[in-house]
Amino acid sequence: MGDWLNVRGWVGDISFFVSDNTVGMSRFWEYKYAVAGLMTEVLMATIVFATMMLTMLAIPWIERKFIARLMDRRGATTSLRSLWVGEGGHHADWYDNVPFGLGKPIRWLNKFLNEKVGNASDIHSVNRVKDRGYHGIWFLIPGLFQAFADFTKFASKEWIVPAKADRFMFEVAPFIIIASTVMIFAFIPFGPHIWAANSDMSLLFMMAIFGIAPLGVFFAGWASNNKYTLLGGIRSVAQLTAYEIPLLITVLSVAILSGSLNILEIVDFQLTSGTWNIFLLPLGGALFLITMIAEVERIPFDMPEAEAELVEGWWTEYGGMRWGLLFAAEYMRSYAACLLFAIFFLGGWETPFADIFGLLGSNQDLILGGIAIGLIGLAFILRNVLPALAAPLPILFLTILPGLVWMLLKAWLLFTVFVWIRASLHRIRTDQILEFGWRWLLPLSIVNLAIATWLRLFVWNGSEWPLAIPALITAITLVLFIILGIDEDKSQIQGRERPYSIQSDSPASTRTDR
Amino acid sequence: MAEMWISMGPQHPMTHGLWTLKVKVDGETVVDTEPDLGYIHRGVEKICEARDFTKITTYCDRLCYASANTWSHSYIYAAEDLLEVEVPERAEFIRVVAVELQRIASHLMWLGAYCPDVGNLTGMVWCLREREMMMDLLQELGGSRMHYNFPRVGGVKRDLPVGFAMRARAKLALFLDRIQEYEALLDESTIFLVRTQGVGYAKPEEMVNHGVTGPNVRAGGVNYDVRWAHPYSVYDQLDWEVAVERPSIKGADNYDRYRVRVEEMRQSALMTLDALDKMPGGAETHFTEGDEMIISKAPVRAPEGATGFHHFEDSRGESMFYLVGGGDGRGKNPYRCSIRSPMFITLPYASKCMIGYKVADIPSIMGSFDPCIGETDR
Repeated sequence: MGDWLNVRGWVGDISFFVSDNTVGMSRFWEYKYAVAGLMTEVLMATIVFATMMLTMLAIPWIERKFIARLMDRRGATTSLRSLWVGEGGHHADWYDNVPFGLGKPIRWLNKFLNEKVGNASDIHSVNRVKDRGYHGIWFLIPGLFQAFADFTKFASKEWIVPAKADRFMFEVAPFIIIASTVMIFAFIPFGPHIWAANSDMSLLFMMAIFGIAPLGVFFAGWASNNKYTLLGGIRSVAQLTAYEIPLLITVLSVAILSGSLNILEIVDFQLTSGTWNIFLLPLGGALFLITMIAEVERIPFDMPEAEAELVEGWWTEYGGMRWGLLFAAEYMRSYAACLLFAIFFLGGWETPFADIFGLLGSNQDLILGGIAIGLIGLAFILRNVLPALAAPLPILFLTILPGLVWMLLKAWLLFTVFVWIRASLHRIRTDQILEFGWRWLLPLSIVNLAIATWLRLFVWNGSEWPLAIPALITAITLVLFIILGIDEDKSQIQGRERPYSIQSDSPASTRTDR
Repeated sequence: MAEMWISMGPQHPMTHGLWTLKVKVDGETVVDTEPDLGYIHRGVEKICEARDFTKITTYCDRLCYASANTWSHSYIYAAEDLLEVEVPERAEFIRVVAVELQRIASHLMWLGAYCPDVGNLTGMVWCLREREMMMDLLQELGGSRMHYNFPRVGGVKRDLPVGFAMRARAKLALFLDRIQEYEALLDESTIFLVRTQGVGYAKPEEMVNHGVTGPNVRAGGVNYDVRWAHPYSVYDQLDWEVAVERPSIKGADNYDRYRVRVEEMRQSALMTLDALDKMPGGAETHFTEGDEMIISKAPVRAPEGATGFHHFEDSRGESMFYLVGGGDGRGKNPYRCSIRSPMFITLPYASKCMIGYKVADIPSIMGSFDPCIGETDR
C-alpha cells in the first residue's frame, strides 16, 4: 500500500544520511540508527502538523463561503452559486476553459439549473435582491488569507484575566483544550506515508484524547467566575454523557468490522477488502456524523456556546490570542472529525473506483507517476492537433494524484456537510440532546454494533467482501432513506387541520354587522 | 445546585433592545423573573407637548425602530380626530399600503431575530433579504430607510411614485413565494418544532386580563384585531382575513405566536395587493405633491379642551394615542399627549410566562412576544 508521495521514506532516508555522516563518523557510531529514528519522528511530526495547519486554511474558508451561499447573503461574497451559474446578468463560463472539455457536464447541469431555478424576473428592482456580481474564480482565492488577518488581529490583542477568576485554572484550561486537540492529529494519517505516530492501539488512544477537551471546557467555565460560562461548562459535561457512549460504540463497530484498532490498518482493510465501510455500515456512518457534530460542539449541538442565551457560553471571558487559539482548536476538532469520517468510512486516501479503473489507485510508484505526468503533458500539447487521441488521456490524471489529495478532498467534502447542517438546523436544548442521545443514538449504535459483528463473523470470508453484501446493504439504505425522506402524504396534510387557521367566518369587507 | 440570579441585559443577545431581564435559575430551570425597563426613556409624551401637530409625526416615527410607519400613522389618526380633518380616500389607501408594508417589514424583522434565538442564522439572513424589498418600497414612499415621516395631517406626504405599483406587485408576489421558504426551513424542521411547540404557554384569558393585544393575543385564539373589530381607514373595503390561531387547551405557545405572524404577513401582502387594485384614481397615476386627491387642508390650531383619540393595530398590538388640544395657550401644540404602548403591557406578562422552563427557552419565549423597547420606554 502506498503511493509515490513517500514522505516518510524520504524523510527516513535523509535522516539516515545525515545521521550516518555525522554520528556515524564519530565514536558514538552505534547510536546512528536511534538518532536517525528520532530525527525521522520529529521531522514527521513537524510535517504532519504543518500539513494540518496549511490544509486547515480551507476549513474556515469553506465555512464562510458555503454558509454565505446557503444563507443567500448579499455583499462582497462571491459564493458558490455565483461561481456555478453566474448572476446579475452574467453567465459563468469558467467551465469552457477547462481543458479537454471536462467542463461540459458542468455546463449542461448549469443550463438545466438556470432554466429550472434561475431568476427569470425582468424587473430590475426584483432582480436586485438576488443580484450578486460574478467576478470570476480568482476572486475566491484571497478569502484564504482572511485567516492570517484574523491571526494578526488576535495576536495583537490584550490578554485580560477577570479580577475574580481562578487565575491558575483559567490559564490552564486553554492549554488543555488546545494541546489535546493538536495531539489528535498525531494519529491521523494524511496519506499512506504521511503520519506522525502509528501505535497498535492508535484508534483507542485517539478517541481518548478526543474526550479530554470537554474537561478543559468545564475548567474554563468554572474558573471564569461568570454565570454564563458556568452554565456553558456544565452543559458541555452534560452533553458529554449523551454522545460519548454512542460515539465510542460506533467507533468500536468500525474496529470490529476492520479487525483492527490501528488506523492505518483500518484504511488498508478498506483498500484490500473491495469496498468502503460506508457501504457496509451506513447506519454507523450516520451515527458517527451525528455524534461527531455533538463532539465538536457545532450547531445543532452547540449548547455550551449558545450565543442566544449564554452570550458566548464558556468562552465569554476569554480574549486575545487565547480566544483565537480556542477558536482554531474548535475548527481543528471539526477538521479531525471530517478526516476521521473519511478514514473510517470513505476509504481514507483511496482513489474512488480505483479498482474499477484497474489503474494505479492503490499501488502507485514514482515511475508510473512520472509516465502519467508525461502522458498528460503530451495530451495537453496534442489537444489541438489530435483531439481524438488527447481526449481519453486526462483520466490518467486521476491515477497520479497522491492519496493525500483524495484524503483532503473527502475531508473537505465532509466539512461542507457540516456547514450545510449548521445552516439548516436549529440549536436543540440540553434536555433534548440527553433524550435524543439515550433514547435514539444509544440503541441505534448497539444495533450498528450487532450488524458489524454479524458481518465480520458470518459474512467476511477472510480476504474480501462478497460484492452482493455491500450492494444489498446500500440498496436497502437508499430505499429506507427515500421512504423516510418523503414528506408525509400530501393529501393527508391537506385533509388535516392546518397548524394555523383563520377563524373569521367572512372577509372583513363583506361584514354587515358593523 | 443553588439558585442564582442571572442578569440578562442591558447588553445581552437575548434582549432585542435595551432592557434587563433578571432571571433566577435553579440549574437550568427558570424559577423567577423580573423585568427591568426604562433604559431609553426619552420623554416623548412631554416633548410632544412642545411641538406643533405637524412636527410630532417625526417623534412618533422614532417610537419603534422596527415599525416606524405604524406609529406615525397611529398618531396621525388621533391628530385628525382632534383637528376634525376629512382625509381623501386615495390617501387612506396609500396609508394602508404604507402601513401594511411596514407591518410585513416589522414581522420579517421579528422572524429574522427569532431564528437566531433558536439557533439558526440562516432564517435571519433570509428574512432580512425580503425585508430589504419592503424597505426599498417604503423608501420610495417616504424617502428614507428607517424613519419615513410619511403621513401628514389630512393626507400623505406624496403620492405613490411612478412605477411603484408595478414594483410592489412584483415584490409582493415574490414575497408570497418566499414565505414558503421560511415554512420549509422552520415548520418542517423537527428541531424547530420541539424548541417551540409546548414551550411558553400563555393562557388567552390571562392575556386578556393583562391587556395583551395584537398577534400575541390572537395566537391565543382571541379574535381581536382593531382593523377588523373597529375598522378605521379603508380596511373594511379590502379583502383580508384576521389571522387567529386555535391554540391548545394550555394556551398559546411559541409556535402559535410564530404561525400567527407568518399568516399575518401573508394577509398583509394580500391586503396591499388588494389596496393597489382598488385605489381610487388608479395606482399607476401619480398626483403631484399637495394635490387634493392625496391631502386635504387641515387647521393648524386645535380648540382648547378638544380631545382626539385613536386606537390602531400596530405590528405588536393595539397602540392608542390620546391628544388634548389647546396647549401653550395658542392651540398649536397638544396640551397633553398620551401614548399606550402594547409592548409596555405585554413585557411583564411575557416575563412571567417563562417560569418553569429552561434557560435555553428564555430567548425563544421572550423573542416570540416580539419586544420592542423603543415604544416600551417611550
